[in-house]
Amino acid sequence: MTTVTWTIVVGVKQVPDADEVGIDPDTGRLDRASAPAVMNPPDRGALEAALSIKDVVDARVVAMTMGPPMATPVLEEAIAMGCDDAVLITDRAFAGSDTWPTSLTLARAAEQLGADIVLAGEETTDSSTGQVPPGIAAHNGWAQLTYVEAVEPRPEENRLVATRDVEGGHERVAADLPVVVAVAYGEFDPRPAPLHRKLYAENDFEPIEWTAEDLDIKDEVGLDVSPTSVGGMETVQPVERKGEVVETADDLAEQITEVYS
Amino acid sequence: MSEPNDAGIDVDEYEDVWVFVEEHAGEVMPVSWELLEEGKQLSEKLDQDLVALVIGEDLDDVAEAALERGANRVLVADDPVFEPYRADPYGAQFRAMVENRKPTIVLIGGTHTGRDFAGRVAVPTHAGLTADVTEIDVDDDGLLQARRPAFGGDILATILCEDHRPQMATIRPGVFEAGDRDPTVAFDADSITDVDVVVDESDTVSEVLEREIGDTADITEAERIVAVGAGVEGDLEPALELAESIDAKLAASRAAVDEGWVDGSRQVGQTGKTVRPELYVAVGISGAIQHLEGMNKSGTVIAINNDPNAPIFEHADYGIVGDFAAVCPDLAETLASDERTEVTP
Ligand SMILES: Cc1cc2nc3c(=O)[nH]c(=O)nc-3n(C[C@H](O)[C@H](O)[C@H](O)COP(=O)(O)OP(=O)(O)OC[C@H]3O[C@@H](n4cnc5c(N)ncnc54)[C@H](O)[C@@H]3O)c2cc1C
Ligand SMILES: Cc1cc2nc3c(=O)[nH]c(=O)nc-3n(C[C@H](O)[C@H](O)[C@H](O)COP(=O)(O)OP(=O)(O)OC[C@H]3O[C@@H](n4cnc5c(N)ncnc54)[C@H](O)[C@@H]3O)c2cc1C
Repeated sequence: MTTVTWTIVVGVKQVPDADEVGIDPDTGRLDRASAPAVMNPPDRGALEAALSIKDVVDARVVAMTMGPPMATPVLEEAIAMGCDDAVLITDRAFAGSDTWPTSLTLARAAEQLGADIVLAGEETTDSSTGQVPPGIAAHNGWAQLTYVEAVEPRPEENRLVATRDVEGGHERVAADLPVVVAVAYGEFDPRPAPLHRKLYAENDFEPIEWTAEDLDIKDEVGLDVSPTSVGGMETVQPVERKGEVVETADDLAEQITEVYS
Repeated sequence: MSEPNDAGIDVDEYEDVWVFVEEHAGEVMPVSWELLEEGKQLSEKLDQDLVALVIGEDLDDVAEAALERGANRVLVADDPVFEPYRADPYGAQFRAMVENRKPTIVLIGGTHTGRDFAGRVAVPTHAGLTADVTEIDVDDDGLLQARRPAFGGDILATILCEDHRPQMATIRPGVFEAGDRDPTVAFDADSITDVDVVVDESDTVSEVLEREIGDTADITEAERIVAVGAGVEGDLEPALELAESIDAKLAASRAAVDEGWVDGSRQVGQTGKTVRPELYVAVGISGAIQHLEGMNKSGTVIAINNDPNAPIFEHADYGIVGDFAAVCPDLAETLASDERTEVTP
């Protein structure tokens, strides 16, 4: 195996397509099961950030997902975009994991892959905790950079400099490697996958598969070690609005002044 | 005698409600005072102390403000290593305080800062961490019931942390009301505790090279809001004119923030602020679910959009189909001449 300067690992998660989640007409509840599964949109930005680092630094980019075998298409998408390899971390033992064991699993996988940088999305469009990237960093005792809008690789210093979005402004922070980076959604425009990569990803590529045992965390995952649990879920009823469309600005002004009288 | 549970934790050892008071260079984030007010309800129900936690440098004023806003006690970690904010020193310090003092509930503002470091406390202490909460309560057994939107706000999930402690949560800014400051509150030297600082600069793995803070507007308390979206294509003037005519604050969709037209502190939605003004005017905003989540508690919603099929019209009380650049000035002119729009003090 040839050695590269950096190994970059990208976390990608499969989620129900937010635009396609419908309401079950019989029960009036959300029908997520029938929505097509897609890559969490912010993760495409994470892939782009990883590949943009590889454009300037000699690096190997590996995508990883923790999920059922059904999630393999998100890895194929990552391969098509330009990742060198991909890992499917799958095991029934993971069922019921909250962000604590989820980030432990991804932390161990990143360590096993020899990650210098882990890239992730800001948050997912399904459970949207945004807690997994800091969780990975915390489990491994690594540096972290969240809400990142730009990256400047500094291989000669073995550091990564990033611009973070902070309340009311920005900061530039340099972090020692290894570092976990969560990119701000919408800041890295994902490159299109070339046709030959798509064909390779769909027809010939097979991901590496790891179980909890392979990561030596068999007793540290799943429902039992998860501190939180979902106690219940209710569908939020949309707020009733009048939905009236008026013709002129004067009509609209009339309604606005109503608010104060 | 209480005993450890299956997770090896004796939950009765844990008491008090902690609220993290987030400050940067002496400036306190408004969400901190919202949490202190909400935390007061929880601590009274539990009959335990409400404790404010402040991390930073030169914190005397902030600590006193926390007492005057209802904290029974304040824990202060004061050291140059904490200014400006970095995840690793904050996380390590907060973790040590949790391990030494064992609070049962810890509330942290769901700002970029709060959501950045909270995991560095929850992971090593194996605490439950609920993200981006919009409703909280405690049940009769003292268990925190934290409710949070998921799936873009279509679902409200109740998250519990039954066997682990502390029960930590990040809370979305703007969902609770801050209380008033009471300068007559009596406190003494014992009310403020300087804790041991466990972090040394040599342990840190990050370095802030520069930090530039400009616009830190607080839109969460605004009574009237004019919000712009991608549809204004960088031309803020018409919307600002409209905002001025009705004394409204400017806000924005994430698309407008990402373009750099409006600062992130004015973003409304799932990853921004929650607002509930009596009047919300959406200008060139399509009405994506992540945006609606931050403004659907508004009184009257008005939409200005040139696409008659834009979803925002279904989520508005009154709308007009048209170009914002024409509608906004017309509207501003009519409204500016109407004395009813003047704000009564
Ligand atoms: C309704 C609901 C509410 C929940 N609330 C909480 C809660 O408050 N606290 C809690 O601890 N758990 C909670 N959970 C459990 C939590 O959703 C799971 O642990 C989930 O697998 C990870 O969280 P996330 O989707 O929020 O990830 P986020 O932290 O939002 O993801 C950020 C990034 O991390 C990476 N990433 C995340 N998951 C994976 C993965 N499986 N594989 C590869 N990369 C990944 C991606 O790059 C992603 O963009 C909740 C679950 C549900 C269904
Ligand atoms: C994890 C995640 C978190 C997110 N968080 C947020 C959040 O907190 N807040 C948020 O807002 N979004 C959020 N989003 C993004 C959200 O999905 C939408 O992409 C975004 O809200 C769109 O912004 P917009 O309505 O301004 O732009 P668009 O959807 O592009 O809409 C622009 C609108 O302007 C109209 N228009 C165009 N020209 C004119 C004209 N001349 N006059 C009048 N109207 C015109 C168009 O008809 C269109 O309806 C999030 C997304 C994700 C995945």
